[in-house]
Amino acid sequence: MIINGSPRAPKSNSRKYSEIFIKYSKLQCDYFNITKSNHHELIAEMEKYSDVVIVFPLYADSLPVGLLNFLKNLETNLPKNRPVISILINCGFLEYEQNCVAVSMIRYFCRHNNLPMGSVLMLGSGEAILDTPFRYIAVRAIKRLSESVNKRNYKDLTATMPLPKWLFKMAARSYWIRYGKKFGVSEKEMKRMEIEGNM
Amino acid sequence: MSDRPINVKIGENKDIKYIDLSSMKIANCVGCFGCWTKTPGKCVIRDDAAKVYPFIAESSSVIYVSHVKYGGYDSVMKTMIERAIPIQQAFIRIHQGETHHVQRNVATKDAVIIAYGNTDSEEQEIFRQLVERNARNMNFGKYEIVFVTEHEVEKTVQNEFKKWEK
Repeated sequence: MIINGSPRAPKSNSRKYSEIFIKYSKLQCDYFNITKSNHHELIAEMEKYSDVVIVFPLYADSLPVGLLNFLKNLETNLPKNRPVISILINCGFLEYEQNCVAVSMIRYFCRHNNLPMGSVLMLGSGEAILDTPFRYIAVRAIKRLSESVNKRNYKDLTATMPLPKWLFKMAARSYWIRYGKKFGVSEKEMKRMEIEGNM
Repeated sequence: MSDRPINVKIGENKDIKYIDLSSMKIANCVGCFGCWTKTPGKCVIRDDAAKVYPFIAESSSVIYVSHVKYGGYDSVMKTMIERAIPIQQAFIRIHQGETHHVQRNVATKDAVIIAYGNTDSEEQEIFRQLVERNARNMNFGKYEIVFVTEHEVEKTVQNEFKKWEK
């Protein structure tokens, strides 16, 4: 079972990562988004699976609040059959280490609720990596994650773009300028220093 | 800024703002990147969060009061923190040896985080690591974390508040 914890689940990078995971999985995989109203449905589904992989982005240095709310509900309605929980977390920064606090939070949650913890994949440079020549790095890491879950040989995995920080900064600039152009917003406008105020 | 009502007397001082998030209507961030790429510096969701993040940005001293869950901020505070990303740009800077977002007009702040609940030592350690990361992403110059039980919150806030008045 794959649970997407991204706030923009249907259009998220986490969805794309989930699709790559499913492609390389030999186990039956079923994919679910977390919504505000489907927590109990997801928890009931969890009973049926040996493994659950939660895929989510780093949000303000930790778990997206939608995922946090789901975990709080899960804690009070734990399934009788407890699946192994693996996670794939991605952050928009180059350093995959920036995901460590969120991973610690999931480990804490699992330990306190007697849910076995499986594999962890921490991805850096998340927002853009699938559209770059470094796509293969993310794909290879997700394939390894998928294999580790298939074989129940759980591992801690990491991946990011092999770039110096200054080059990542430049690449991110190009990415966001292209993104803004889609809405007719210039780099200068995106760099405005004012908050709220007149647009 | 608190996730629960606090009995504090601010008086006439207009430089001090008390925000009770629990009394406000604040939706979850939907991750649309609108505040970075469509209406820079401004969230596309026009609820109470848009009244709060300008104060977060301009404040040079903050007291955040939050219940702790799994070593992080509980839902009320976390929802607001996520909705405060309009105060950053999409663009990346290298800060303290790591890649982080460029800040808009955000004052460097002294932060006191009053973290309440029945936290154990492991949760407190995770929370310390979280705030250490926040310091880089949320422009904390100095910060202090005070772990308290729920019934100690009011007194702790009042003590911190007295330090501001001095």
